[in-house]
Amino acid sequence: MRMFRLNGLRGVTLALSTMVAALYATNDAARAADPIKIGFGMQLTGPLAGNGKAALLGAQIWAEEVNKAGGLLGRQVELVAYDDQSNPGLVPGIYSKLLDVDKVDLLLSNNTNQTAPAMPTIIQHKRLIMGMFALAINEQFKYPGYFQIQPYGPNGKDSLTRGFFENAIAMNPKPTTVALVGADAEFSKNALEGARMQAKRLGLTVVYDKVYPPTTVNFTPVLKALQATSPDLVFVASYPSDTVGIIRTAHEINLEPKVFGGAMVGTQYAAIKQQLGEALNGIVSFEQYIPEPTVKFPGIEEMLKKYQAKAADVGVDALGYYVPAFVYSALQVLGEAVTKTGGVDQQKLISYIHENTFQTVVGDIKFGPDGEWVEPRMFAVQFRNIKGNDVQQFTQPGKEVIIFPPKYKSGDLVYPFTNAQKNAQN
Amino acid sequence: MSNGRFIALACLVGAALVGASMFVTNEYYVFAAYFVLQYVVLATAWNILGGYVGYVNFGTTAFLAIGLYSAAALNKWLDLPIPVLIPIAGLLCGAVGLAMGYLTIRLRGVYFTIATLALSVVVQTFITNWEYVGGSRGLYVMRPSEIPVFGSYVAYLFFLMTVLAVAAVVTARVIERSTFGFGLAAIRDDETAAAASGVPVLRLKLIAAAVSGTFMGMAGAPLPFYLTYVEPTSSFSLAYTVNSVAMPLVGGTTSWLGPVIGAVLLGTMQQAMTVLISSSVNLLVVGVLLVIFVIAAPNGILGLIRSMGGKKADPEANPLAAMLVAEKRSSQ
Repeated sequence: MRMFRLNGLRGVTLALSTMVAALYATNDAARAADPIKIGFGMQLTGPLAGNGKAALLGAQIWAEEVNKAGGLLGRQVELVAYDDQSNPGLVPGIYSKLLDVDKVDLLLSNNTNQTAPAMPTIIQHKRLIMGMFALAINEQFKYPGYFQIQPYGPNGKDSLTRGFFENAIAMNPKPTTVALVGADAEFSKNALEGARMQAKRLGLTVVYDKVYPPTTVNFTPVLKALQATSPDLVFVASYPSDTVGIIRTAHEINLEPKVFGGAMVGTQYAAIKQQLGEALNGIVSFEQYIPEPTVKFPGIEEMLKKYQAKAADVGVDALGYYVPAFVYSALQVLGEAVTKTGGVDQQKLISYIHENTFQTVVGDIKFGPDGEWVEPRMFAVQFRNIKGNDVQQFTQPGKEVIIFPPKYKSGDLVYPFTNAQKNAQN
Repeated sequence: MSNGRFIALACLVGAALVGASMFVTNEYYVFAAYFVLQYVVLATAWNILGGYVGYVNFGTTAFLAIGLYSAAALNKWLDLPIPVLIPIAGLLCGAVGLAMGYLTIRLRGVYFTIATLALSVVVQTFITNWEYVGGSRGLYVMRPSEIPVFGSYVAYLFFLMTVLAVAAVVTARVIERSTFGFGLAAIRDDETAAAASGVPVLRLKLIAAAVSGTFMGMAGAPLPFYLTYVEPTSSFSLAYTVNSVAMPLVGGTTSWLGPVIGAVLLGTMQQAMTVLISSSVNLLVVGVLLVIFVIAAPNGILGLIRSMGGKKADPEANPLAAMLVAEKRSSQ
C-alpha cells in the first residue's frame, strides 16, 4: 500500500485549503439555515396607523402559517418591520436600513403613495418591491421590479368610478345630471378626475364640481349648495372622517338624488360600518373583497377567521376585508415566487412574477408590465338591509350587494336612493 | 479663536465628514447623517432669531416648505441643478423672513409665536391650492441613482447638506461675536433698554429674521430630491418645528454650539429609536427632554457645563422660559 507523504509546504497548503473549504461549507450551511427576511416600513403610528397595524397583522398571520409549514425552501420566514410614523421623510432611511444593515431578502412597501420615497433606493439596489395600496406610482418610475397588490388595474381612476356610473346610466329614466364633490387631497382628486371622464363619456351634465379642504368638519354648506343644483347623481370622493360627516349631513338635509355614493374611503372599515349602521343603506361605494355568494376565493374565509380572532386583541379593523387580506395575498405571491425560482435572486423573482398567474386568497392575480393587475377588479357595492350597528352583520352576505363588475354581480342597483333606504327598513 | 481660524476649522470638519461618507459602503449611515445635518441647519437657523434675539419662531415648517417647493417648482420648470436651487430658495425665504418680520416682529412673546404659527397655515393653504406643484396631490421629483464624482446621489445630497451646515454654523458664530450679535443679545436681555441705548432694534430683528429664514429655506431645497415625492401634509409636518425648537433648547441657545449639540444628540437619538424601538416614542422623548431641560437646565447642556464651572444659570436665557415669565409679569 502506497502512503502519501507530503512535504512541509504542501502539507500546510493542503491543510489551509481544507480549512477554508470547511469554513465555506459551514457558512453555506449556516446561510441555508438563516431565515428569509422580509422587510418593510409601515405606518404603525400617525394618521395612517389604522391600516398600517391591520396590514402588519395580515403579514404576521402569513408568516406564522408558512413557518408552521416548514418555511420557504426549508428556511423560516422573519418579518423585519419599522414604524415610519406615516412620515414620508423617514421612508428613505428605513429602506436603506433594511437593505444595507438588515440585509433583507424581500421587500414589501408601506401603504399608500408614501411608498414613493423608497423607490430610488430600491431601484438603485435593483430590488423587487411588492407595493401596497398605492395609486399609479410606477407611471413615474417605470421600474420593472415594482408590483402593486390593490386591484386598480392599469387605469385606477377608471376602475374606481366605472361601477358607479355604469349602473347609474342603466337606470330608467336615464339620468342627465351629476354633482361631483370631494376632499382636496390626492386620492379623492384622482377619483374626481375619473368621475369627470365617466360623465363626459356617458354624456352627463356636471352641475356641481367642487372640492373641500381636508380639514372640513361641517358639510352642511357644501351639501346644501350641491342640493340646490338638484342633480340626478351625487358622486362623492371622500376620506374616512369626511365620509361619516357627509353621510350624516346628507340624511339631515334630506338629500335625495337617484344615486348617492362614489369613491368613499371609510365605508370599507369595520369601525365606520359599525358607526354609521343603517345610515349606510342605499349608498354606493367601492370594496375590494366582500363575503357575497358570487365571491368565492379559496382560503379567504380561513384567513379572515384567523385575522378576526386576533383583531380585537391588537385593536385593529375587526373585519379585515380591505387591507389585511391583500397584504396576505402579496406575501403569497412572494412566497410562491421564492419557492418556484428556488431562491431570492431578485431578477429571477421579478421575471417569475411578471410571467405567471398567482392563486391567492383574494383570487387569481396576473401582473401587467407596469406592475398593476392586468384586469382591474374594484367592486362597486350598494349597502342594503343594514339593521342597527352590529358589526357582525357585515360578515353575512346581502349587506353589501355587488353591482359591478358583471362577473361578480350579486344584485341590481336599487334606485332612487330613497327607495333603497326604504327597502332596507322593510 | 478668530473667525478666520474658526471658518478654517469648520471647513476641515465638513471636509472630513464628506471624506468619511465617501468611504462608507453602508448607505444607511449616510441617510442618517443627512437627517442629523438637516437639523443642524434648521436648529442653528432657528437659534439666530429664537436664541440670540429671544423671539420664539414656530414657523420653521413654513420656511422649510417654501425652500422645498420653490426648488421642486424651479426644477420642474427649468430643470436647474440643486447648487443653483439652494441660493434661490435661500433668497426667497430670506425675503419671506424679512416680510414676516416687518409684519409681525413688533409683536412680542406669545403673540409673535402665534403669528409665526399662522404663517405655516397660510403657506400650507397656498401650496395645497397651487396645482403646478401638484397641490394636495403632491409632486414627484425624479433623480438619478448615480452622479459623477460622488457616485451615489445620496452621497451628493449629503455633501450639499454638509456645506449648508458648515455655512449655517459659521454664520451663527460670526453673528454671535459681532457688534450685530451684541445688539441682538441686548434686545434679548431687555428690548426697551436696548432701544434706549441706541440699538436699532427693529432693523436688527429684521436682519435676524431674514438670515434665519434664509438658512431654513436652503435646508429645504435639497429635500425634494431626497424624498422624490412631496405633498403638503408631510411637508408641513409639525415635527420639523418641534425639533428645530427643541434642539437649541436642549443644547443651549446662547451659543452657536448649543443647536449643534442638540441636533446631533436628538437627531441621532430619533434615528436610533426609529429602527430600535417603536418610533411613536420619538416625539415623546423630544417632549420629555424639552420639559426636563426647561425646568432643570434652562440654559441647556452648555448651561449645565458652565454651571459646573461655577457660573450661575440664567433661567431667562431660555427663550421659552423668558417668554412665559414675560407673559406672567405682563398679566400681573
